[in-house]
Amino acid sequence: MELFANLAHGFAVALSPINLLMCLIGALVGTLVGVLPGIGTIATVAMLLPITFGLPPVGALIMLAGIYYGAQYGGSTTSILVNIPGEATSVVTALDGHQMARQGRAGPALAIAAIGSFFAGCVATVLIAVLGAPLTKLALAFGPAEYFSLMVLGLIFAVVLAKGSVLKAIAMIVFGLLLSMVGSDIETGASRMAFNIPELADGLGFATVAMGVFGFAEIIRNLDAGAEMSRDLVQQKITGLMPTRKDLMDSAPAIVRGTILGSILGILPGGGAVIASFAAYTLEKKIAKDPSRFGRGAIEGVASPESANNAAAQTSFIPLLTLGIPPNAVMALMVGAMTIHGIVPGPQVMVKQPDLVWGMIASMWIGNLMLIIINLPLVGIWVRLLRVPYRLMFPSIVIFCAIGIYSVNNAPVDVVLAGAFGLVGYWLIKHDFEPAPLLLGMVLGPLMEENLRRALLISRGDWSVFLSRPLSAVLLAIAAGLLVLAVLPTLRAKRDEVFVESEG
Amino acid sequence: MSDTPSEAPVKSILPEWVRGPQDFVGGIAMMAVALFALWASSDLQGMHGFSFGAGTAPRMFAVLLLLLGGAVALVGVLRDGPHIAAYSWRGPLFVSAAIVFFAVAIRPLGLVVSAFAAFLIAAMGSHETKWIEAIIVGGCLTIGCALLFPYVLGLPMPMFPRFLIQ
Repeated sequence: MELFANLAHGFAVALSPINLLMCLIGALVGTLVGVLPGIGTIATVAMLLPITFGLPPVGALIMLAGIYYGAQYGGSTTSILVNIPGEATSVVTALDGHQMARQGRAGPALAIAAIGSFFAGCVATVLIAVLGAPLTKLALAFGPAEYFSLMVLGLIFAVVLAKGSVLKAIAMIVFGLLLSMVGSDIETGASRMAFNIPELADGLGFATVAMGVFGFAEIIRNLDAGAEMSRDLVQQKITGLMPTRKDLMDSAPAIVRGTILGSILGILPGGGAVIASFAAYTLEKKIAKDPSRFGRGAIEGVASPESANNAAAQTSFIPLLTLGIPPNAVMALMVGAMTIHGIVPGPQVMVKQPDLVWGMIASMWIGNLMLIIINLPLVGIWVRLLRVPYRLMFPSIVIFCAIGIYSVNNAPVDVVLAGAFGLVGYWLIKHDFEPAPLLLGMVLGPLMEENLRRALLISRGDWSVFLSRPLSAVLLAIAAGLLVLAVLPTLRAKRDEVFVESEG
Repeated sequence: MSDTPSEAPVKSILPEWVRGPQDFVGGIAMMAVALFALWASSDLQGMHGFSFGAGTAPRMFAVLLLLLGGAVALVGVLRDGPHIAAYSWRGPLFVSAAIVFFAVAIRPLGLVVSAFAAFLIAAMGSHETKWIEAIIVGGCLTIGCALLFPYVLGLPMPMFPRFLIQ
């Protein structure tokens, strides 16, 4: 069995002391970020991107991956105990989780969230391992036309599943594509829209834009609301961590459903963990015998979304590792991290860098195990951390980001650019434009251009190549169909309903 | 409470036929970005034969953004939408100032001085800042970063002001 051999190789890589340490650091930092409201996963991964330069590539990616799934764990902790979702993915967990905490059942709620996440993590790890090789084979059959169409489909998926206006989300993607054009043209070497600024000759740094639009913009926006957030801590001691037999019986099917739903939504481009947790909660409510229990401390309302977001966080690595296409903004940053270390994401990564791919997959399982072991005893510390006031946190984040960006190229211009993109991001938020599609567009821009050019060169300028090659035509047809569905009134209403749930 | 956003103005400066000012202004701004990109890429070579020139893709995306921006603005005209959200000035001003100061100061003054000063500038962005506390935390953070980046992560950068070392 090739699969087992691969996994065994992965575990051998992941279990080396340095990688274990990276995994632990990633998981801990992720939990910390998940716990603290006001710094998102995207901002953190962007922030830590520069400091992974000095690390070996495998360790760097293991750490960054750990942050992503660790944040899903941490987010649930604050949702349950404090009713402040540290992460967007845990918004729905707060609905029932905090009610459980108020009824003195914080322990079981935390335990179920952790168990659900762990189960989902295990399933997702196996799924990545199983799907990895066949999808890579499929990807190798792709020509430039198919690649281009696949990326179009991915971007459309991102738009359809994103929150808010479809039109604005597409505009953001195109804005991102346009930003990615800055710098030297790959084929002719001509300098494009760089205005003779030497620092722009290589293009806008990916970390720079991400840090600005997500890091700085988020900080400025948070300051708007006033730095002091009301924090309604559950003060009573958390007793009885272990869920009862009935809790386990009730939540087991919910965990399985959440895991399946999350795994599927994670693989789909544009999905990711946020939509998965919303969808899982909605599903549980729909199929429950007594939907009125939800919002009043139903344990399924914790189990299912927590499993779903963790499953999705991990399965979203599948399109990245096999096709080289990032399905969401965090994965887009992972592409940035890989590129920094000289690894070109795509189907050849699986073959050429088995250490990296299988090591990362194995580390996810190890990371999940670490999280379940370290997290429950550490709950008290995480809660105490919430008392660190934002007025001290935000200048620290600003400085840390500034030093981080500077260290990438030792270029002060990069720091100023990130600041400028922070203001752009603030403006975008104020006008209800989502920055995540922008980042996705920026990552996919050069790839899309390259494949578009190649496809047209091969077809001698005939645009119909995208429709005459069957695989490409199918992909484009799906994309077109999705777009039509997204603007149809009935589906729109459904889509909005899923998001409204969070405010309820 | 001078830095909290004031109430959104009831009367906007935009003409009355704009029913969704937020979308309208957003769309116009996107169109402006697109036009700027068209201008900036106008000197690049276009299609030659059936192969792309350096300017083809940027111009293609710019035209697309122009159309999309137009559509967003049109939605702002046709459909009732939210007003433009109020901006506050304090957060953006001091956070940007801190970033710019850091960028200017890092080479001549080194990490220790510029990080600490930038921390204090950024802290001015909130009216809740307590100075003693901010100075202590800023100092600790500076020391932490001065150890973390060059020593733990092996990313060399100037530490102290240039005129002191020479």
